[in-house]
Amino acid sequence: MTTTLNQTEIPDLSDAFQSVAWHVRDWAQRTPDRVALRDKDFGIWQEMTSSELWEHVLTAAHGLLALGVEPGQVTSIHSEDRPEWLIFDFASVAVRAVCTGMYPTNPMAEVIYLLNNAGSIVHFAEDQEQIDKILDAPENSYPTIEKIIYVEPRGVREMTDPRLMFWDDFMEMGREHRASHPGAVEQRMAEVDPSEVMTLIYTSGTTGPPKGAMLTHRNVEYGVEKVLNSPGRFKGDVGEGVDDEKLTYLPLCHVAERIFSAWSLAYNGPVLNFAESIETVQVNLREVQPTIFFAVPRIWERIHAGVHIKLQDASFFKRLISGFSLKLAKYIGRQRVNNGGNFTFGSRIAYMIGYPLFFRSLKERIGMRHVRYASSGAAAIAPEVLEFFMGLGIPLYEVYGMTENTVVATTNFYGRVKLGTVGEPFEGIGFRIDEETGEIQMKHDGVFAGYWGSPEATADTFTEDGWLKTGDVGEWIDGTHVKIIDRIKHIIVTSGGMNISPSEIENSLKASPYIKEAMAIGDGRKYVTALIGIEYDVVGNWALRRQITYTTYRDLSEKPQVIELIQGVVNDSNEKFAHLEQVREFRMITKELDHEDGELTATQKLKRGAMDKLFGDLVESMYS
Amino acid sequence: MRGRPNLYTEYKSEMGLFPTTSKKVSIALLGVVAILVPLNAMPLMGFLGDAGWMVLVNKALIYAIAALGLNLLVGVAGQVSLGHSFFMAVGAYTAVVLGGEAGKTVWGLGLPMWVWLPAAGLAAALVGILVAPTAVRVRGLYLAFVTLGLVFIGQYLWRNLGSVAGGPTTGRPWPKLEFALWRNMDPIISFTSDGPLWWWLTPVNWLPWVHIEEMSGEAKTYFFVLATVVIFGLLAKNLMRTRIGRSWAAIRDRDIAAEVMGVAEAKGKTQAFAISSFYAGVGGAILASVIGRIIPETWDLFLSIEFVAIVLIGGAGTIAGVYLGTFFLIFTPRIVEEVTGWLAAQVADAGPFAWLGNLFIRTGPDDWIGIVSLDAYGPGLSIFQFNIVLFGVLIIVFLIVEPLGLFGIWIKVKNYWKGWPFSY
Repeated sequence: MTTTLNQTEIPDLSDAFQSVAWHVRDWAQRTPDRVALRDKDFGIWQEMTSSELWEHVLTAAHGLLALGVEPGQVTSIHSEDRPEWLIFDFASVAVRAVCTGMYPTNPMAEVIYLLNNAGSIVHFAEDQEQIDKILDAPENSYPTIEKIIYVEPRGVREMTDPRLMFWDDFMEMGREHRASHPGAVEQRMAEVDPSEVMTLIYTSGTTGPPKGAMLTHRNVEYGVEKVLNSPGRFKGDVGEGVDDEKLTYLPLCHVAERIFSAWSLAYNGPVLNFAESIETVQVNLREVQPTIFFAVPRIWERIHAGVHIKLQDASFFKRLISGFSLKLAKYIGRQRVNNGGNFTFGSRIAYMIGYPLFFRSLKERIGMRHVRYASSGAAAIAPEVLEFFMGLGIPLYEVYGMTENTVVATTNFYGRVKLGTVGEPFEGIGFRIDEETGEIQMKHDGVFAGYWGSPEATADTFTEDGWLKTGDVGEWIDGTHVKIIDRIKHIIVTSGGMNISPSEIENSLKASPYIKEAMAIGDGRKYVTALIGIEYDVVGNWALRRQITYTTYRDLSEKPQVIELIQGVVNDSNEKFAHLEQVREFRMITKELDHEDGELTATQKLKRGAMDKLFGDLVESMYS
Repeated sequence: MRGRPNLYTEYKSEMGLFPTTSKKVSIALLGVVAILVPLNAMPLMGFLGDAGWMVLVNKALIYAIAALGLNLLVGVAGQVSLGHSFFMAVGAYTAVVLGGEAGKTVWGLGLPMWVWLPAAGLAAALVGILVAPTAVRVRGLYLAFVTLGLVFIGQYLWRNLGSVAGGPTTGRPWPKLEFALWRNMDPIISFTSDGPLWWWLTPVNWLPWVHIEEMSGEAKTYFFVLATVVIFGLLAKNLMRTRIGRSWAAIRDRDIAAEVMGVAEAKGKTQAFAISSFYAGVGGAILASVIGRIIPETWDLFLSIEFVAIVLIGGAGTIAGVYLGTFFLIFTPRIVEEVTGWLAAQVADAGPFAWLGNLFIRTGPDDWIGIVSLDAYGPGLSIFQFNIVLFGVLIIVFLIVEPLGLFGIWIKVKNYWKGWPFSY
């Protein structure tokens, strides 16, 4: 391996720009036998060392060269998280192509839009399901695509489309190209310019079609430097490194998983463990026991709800102990919240009592036993949920960022946590809150190069003096921490002229384990109402315990007892709000919301437009 | 993976016999205890080293060898068999014909142990292979009847084959557990005679409370049998995770489904009978050898039922359960006896537990309350009868309440703590 790299015709890359691919190669040379990633296959976590990883990346890069991919051309990935995702992505970076990823749940219409918007020429489709979204589309839906590479041959072998190519054949082609053109990939790597676009990340688009944010090599480098490697984030300031274990399970096409997994692997070298699927996250978490863990609020809420259900189902003695320990946890959480996230003397004593009784085993069960840093981001999280995990002794921090600034915005630092805020801006970045609109604006090296093929949209995103408009309304707390109120577009102005943040109300409702979806309504209305969707299995379990029989989601949602239960949750939540912000009435959403049906974005955020259309009658019924 | 017991990076670690450190440590501790017991060096359990108890311990270990075999057949492969005592008898008589001394009326070749002991297993296995085809045709209760028939065929044979089994009321002497190179040579190692330690066990002074110059025959037998049990146990445990073991489990769970999935049913059942009978043959030969002289009636239905009881009480399909079951079965009568004796003494001395004794024991012709009667007559059961009733009740209770047996109770306790703080 190393001998190939030292051959004379291979350009020396020591002075080249240190791109993501450069770092992957660097690890392979420095620590060739270290485990870089694990992927669960046939029940076993198959390991791949850093030199093996680079071998694959280099071969795949040669494969792309053999396909004639030129610098600046677009490649695309439509797959669940798997090692090949990273390999194809890193290979694209190595040959200076622009790689973009798509959510596995993207339906055909969106795939057509995305691939044509990006102009992808080489497309990586995981399996038959994703291939069908291309081959079943009307003819000439994809004028730019020249090759479709797939890794799961099941159901594909019979297909005759000339664009299809099996992954193994692609790699074989890469090996041949590598033998005949040694050093060609390294040549490309040597020519990288930091201002070049490295990747396109499509925003989820709660309103309007997704837009492709162009992130340059420099953006990524800056993002890693700030978000992953800012001092002061970890206890004892021991940064992310090769001893860390991570679980890769959120879609890699999203900027969060990209930076926390892919780019983190390249720059800092933690071991990535690929979860089998999003459904098995809890099981995989327990196996992997990561040291650093990032999750979106939805996942934290699920774990939170799961713990409560399982504790309720436990036997009498266990419930006795857990009831006592949860009281301790509540006390500890409260103390830590009031103390910047630090333990106080009292809470430390309480933790020492609760640890052998409860916390240790509970943390083991939910896979957080070894977590030394956990974070929540990509959407707002209810403070109660954060407090719960802090009470268990899990160092959970809320972070804030977005695709357009390579997630470089704010974070909570170790020992300076303020609950309900997204923390402090990173040191040395341009960060301001517009006095008139309250909008958060930013200017730093992580700010993106613009939207792909849409100069107008790009221009709209920047102020006249060149600051990025985030579209989020925020306010300073104590002059140091930032609190996010809501998206500007989502702010409700009631007919009485009062400004209300719907997400605060929604998150307060969603903190209950019984509620999965909540949408606050009230723009131009006299009072606030809400559409509420239940958490099917939690409420199902609750109903079972009370011997309430039900058949479907809809049936369960409409049970008078369930409505009564939700009314209780709404009443509790209302106590936290001013009179005019209280949810006066609510209706149950009688179907489980879904990305493919268009009610949710790929990141499980509500699409308000679609919701209004679908449930307009329900909404009207609350105001008549 | 260190600190991550559920993260398996290779099948080897997932399939490991003793996958975790705590398991390795507890097995090692158990090993130390097992070695210390016969040396009278075990605090609290020192009494087990006395000859009377040692005989029981040995009997339990020998039973365990045979029970391991039945457990493979019943617990793992799911083939109900009441014929285990027949296969044990086949092993025992093979041993005595090959290893015993020839007499006026009996056959005997006088071969050494390293010939007769494996041969006993092989002969039983061969008979097992002959029986196996019936298991392919009949299953469940019907298979139980077929194997039950074997026991009676066996009884008839042993009673009438005087040249093999000796006289119907006297039996014949069995070869001893001695290791000799060939017939008529002096044994190199004897596992039965009292006397000095073996050359590789120099007089022991390694623990402050242990001073051993010589060892009883029972202790030597114990070491031999213990080694056999450990080896056979490991083999069985290993067998369960191999292709053969997994095919047995498939057949047990549903033979037709297993066959549909490509598991060869006839082959699997034949293997199960062969290997199970091998265990039975070896166990039978050692049992007969240690007892010394056995009459044909020993290999009766009750012996078979005892083994079924061991498997069911211990926990079908588990190796540890077999050990638990045998010790339970062998020790309970003795413990009942001790307790009864103690209660009788309490009644006699008017001790604090006399009331319990009065309830439980019928002490004399005037005493009308009591389950166990100490004199031979009068209402109430003898201790022997009481034990039989007790086992009958226990088998029923275990089958209904705890089908996984003693091992199942252990699993439940373990899961209770494993699941902490949840229940599932």
